[in-house]
Amino acid sequence: MAAQLLAGHGFKHIYNLAGGIKAWQGEVAEGPVELNLDMVRGDEMPEEIIRLAYGMELSLGTFYRTAQATAGDTDVVALLDKLASVEDAHKQYLLQLQATMTGREISPKAMDGEVSQKALEGGFGTEDLLKNNQKFLHSIPDLLDLSMMVETQALDLYVRFANKTDSQETKRVLYRIADEEKGHLAALGRLRQEKSSE
Amino acid sequence: MFDSLKKLFTPVESLEASQLRDYIDSHETGTYTLLDVRQPGEYESSHIPGAILIPLPQLADAYEQLDPEKPVVVY
Repeated sequence: MAAQLLAGHGFKHIYNLAGGIKAWQGEVAEGPVELNLDMVRGDEMPEEIIRLAYGMELSLGTFYRTAQATAGDTDVVALLDKLASVEDAHKQYLLQLQATMTGREISPKAMDGEVSQKALEGGFGTEDLLKNNQKFLHSIPDLLDLSMMVETQALDLYVRFANKTDSQETKRVLYRIADEEKGHLAALGRLRQEKSSE
Repeated sequence: MFDSLKKLFTPVESLEASQLRDYIDSHETGTYTLLDVRQPGEYESSHIPGAILIPLPQLADAYEQLDPEKPVVVY
């Protein structure tokens, strides 16, 4: 019905998901459309958005490193380490994106200093994560599930940021950051597959 | 008149979930639209990451938000 409506308005390529979302086997995101959208105004230049994303990735990395102190299992600690280094890779990507988009190279240390408190506290809600998810620290599959859930929420958030943004250039930056998340989500999925068959 | 008849019979392709997964994996974010036409409560409960929400009753008025040149996957 929706598809026919769109066809009537000149949409050229329309697909219908057979079975709807119930048939979807992949990761799903939760939350209303407005979730965390108050983190952006909608008129940000690419550089500001990159700083925001960087802040969020920084806080997530800190979360993984902090969780290592509470985790008993050495395998879990090792995985937390790996997840933290994925966040480092995210940050590296953002710094490169910054240099490409603005011509301005900035060191990780300098960037760490520039991120806002808002970005650190918002986004992934890492404080709450640690409070409410102690059990995930005891099992590799649970930890991977949590990580995938967080990355999926991040992916969703970046696209919703893009929908709120006026600037085409900033949209493009957000789409690229989202694709970076997609890539890591795929890698986590493969790791999850591995671990569940051990 | 022929034009509107043509639009009426524009085939809408059906995608299996695994095909949608492949599509998403092989296309850059932003080059296509994922459109959720359910109610806000359902979207909030769970949605495909990156999906835009336009509940069906509002679609006739709100479709202009969407880029007609981009492929749209509706669920």
